[in-house]
Amino acid sequence: MAETAHTPEPVVALEGVSKTYELGGETVEALADVSLSLPAGSYTAVMGPSGSGKSTLLNLVGGLDTPGEGTVTVGGRELGALSERERAAVRGGEVGFVFQTFNLMPRLTAVENVALPLVFQGWDRDRRRARAETLLADVGLADRLNHRPTELSGGQRQRVAIARALAPDPAVLLADEPTGNVDTDTGARVMGLLDDLHAAGNTVLLVTHERRIAEHADRVIHVRDGVVECIEDLDDGDRDGEA
Amino acid sequence: MDPRETLSIAVRSLRSHRLRSALTVLGVVVGIAAVVTFVTVGASLRADIVGEVEGSSANNIYLLSTPADDGGPPDAPRPVFTEHDVSQLREVDGAVRVVPQGSLPVSALTYGNDTVGRQQVTATTPAAFEGATFLAGRAFESGTREVVVNERARTAFDRNLSVGEELRVTRRDGDATNVTVVGVVNSTGTELPFQSFVSRSRFYFPTEPFYDTVVESPALGVNQRAYLQVTVVADPGGLSATQSAVQEYLEGSDAAALQPSGYDLSARTSGDIADSLEDLVGRLTRFVTGLAVLSLLVGAIGIANIMLVSVTERTREIGVMKAVGGTNRDVLVLFLTEATLLGAVGALVAVPVGLAGAWVATEYADIGLTVPLGWVGVAIAVGLLVGALSGLYPAWRAARVDPIDALRRE
Repeated sequence: MAETAHTPEPVVALEGVSKTYELGGETVEALADVSLSLPAGSYTAVMGPSGSGKSTLLNLVGGLDTPGEGTVTVGGRELGALSERERAAVRGGEVGFVFQTFNLMPRLTAVENVALPLVFQGWDRDRRRARAETLLADVGLADRLNHRPTELSGGQRQRVAIARALAPDPAVLLADEPTGNVDTDTGARVMGLLDDLHAAGNTVLLVTHERRIAEHADRVIHVRDGVVECIEDLDDGDRDGEA
Repeated sequence: MDPRETLSIAVRSLRSHRLRSALTVLGVVVGIAAVVTFVTVGASLRADIVGEVEGSSANNIYLLSTPADDGGPPDAPRPVFTEHDVSQLREVDGAVRVVPQGSLPVSALTYGNDTVGRQQVTATTPAAFEGATFLAGRAFESGTREVVVNERARTAFDRNLSVGEELRVTRRDGDATNVTVVGVVNSTGTELPFQSFVSRSRFYFPTEPFYDTVVESPALGVNQRAYLQVTVVADPGGLSATQSAVQEYLEGSDAAALQPSGYDLSARTSGDIADSLEDLVGRLTRFVTGLAVLSLLVGAIGIANIMLVSVTERTREIGVMKAVGGTNRDVLVLFLTEATLLGAVGALVAVPVGLAGAWVATEYADIGLTVPLGWVGVAIAVGLLVGALSGLYPAWRAARVDPIDALRRE
């Protein structure tokens, strides 16, 4: 089935990406000459211990950071060539972030949190609200539209965050340890939701240090000390065993 | 970003810290209200001064002998204007009337069974009341035992005085005389202007037969009555020409010869007096308003301070906004909006508070309230500006927050 000659245009592509930080006068190489690509509709996990560079990788793909060397292309746009303003537009339109700590706006309701990326995209109020309500219904929170984050459980908050990430219909969904702050059962439901989103055709990039979580993906990229150690293709059998 | 959404988020952020926001606004309110109060009181004082001058006293020239500004200790005016001066002034071109005024020393006034101690009453001529508005009765006639009182004097005794009733005046030497009240006025129209600042009871006695302060006239060599103050009512068309002629006469007058050294003779119109008063009021207003502006500066620092705290507290939120597509500009505008809202709310509350303060002050001083609408507009604009300027640096800090650091925070 794997025909390299006719692969579709990748949604995310990294080419020879390096990134160094100055930390306390020392230069830390977070990523060194990393190249990889995410085809449309793929489900990829990045695994590695803390300090391996996986968060840096996610920040680069998400347009929060720019590479020192190499290029990062998301949805056909090379992020390094964009202005701050244009990168903000990519963050709000081409990628959807799901964080370990949810990162919802505390004073906005669930529906307003979901609609927030669309505010920055310039959608009008009625369209934003309709879209946010649909997405919240999709993640099973139709009855929690006007609740504030503090009135929601951890699992509900993460589902609001996932709905928010989906709001602009992004090219890629970026999930950074999405089950890190919820209990195992809730985590399983969150992963089930991501699996469903992948099944519906979304491209998902998952960052985790847990093998059990990484096995939800089709492919696991192992990073350590800023370099890609190996890329592991998982067949369906492994995943079903975990789920 | 949709401005309505910016406003909505800004309002919610401010409302989530009600006490903090209220105290910050209070700082602005104090500053702007103080400015509004002082500016309004200043404008009301000026309007009152102008109103006095535009009244019946517009053509009056007031002659006084007062200590020179840089002279020795402050002293009361002296009675230096002789009968001779008064009659000479009547000959001056453009002088319609000349009204002398003196101080008649007394020890007490009695009405019925009520006796009120008093140092002096006013002695003048019937001409003082030409053009005056009588609340009741008429002017006294020269050579009679008739007196005119003002509204305040009417109520100075336990029973109200009315026209036709008898008043007993006790002189310094103990002699007591009965006089008849024949008229009640608000003001004579020839007295020095701005008497409304010191609203007190006044009793006007005819110089003939009561006034007996005499000096020897240098021009005539005989003893004559001498007055503290003379008012020349000029022909409306030639006020300044009359003023010059009066000044010219004064140089060779009895008054010039009689006044002690260190004293100056002045012949000033209502306008002249108003000008110097207005100048004084203007200076005072500017000085006090300057102090109020300082307190507004403190309010501005309060906004800047609280906005910086807010930026620090909400670093993570800023990171989230940026992660979901917010630009630096969106963040900047949001924080600027919050700061400007604090200033705007402060200004909106401050204007009625300031005007209320000014109303209390003008009621107390018994002058009309004049609201300088332009300045009130300026106060509101300053509130907005103070908010925006104080928010500038905190908002800039917020816009520069690195989303990666912000999101990593626990």
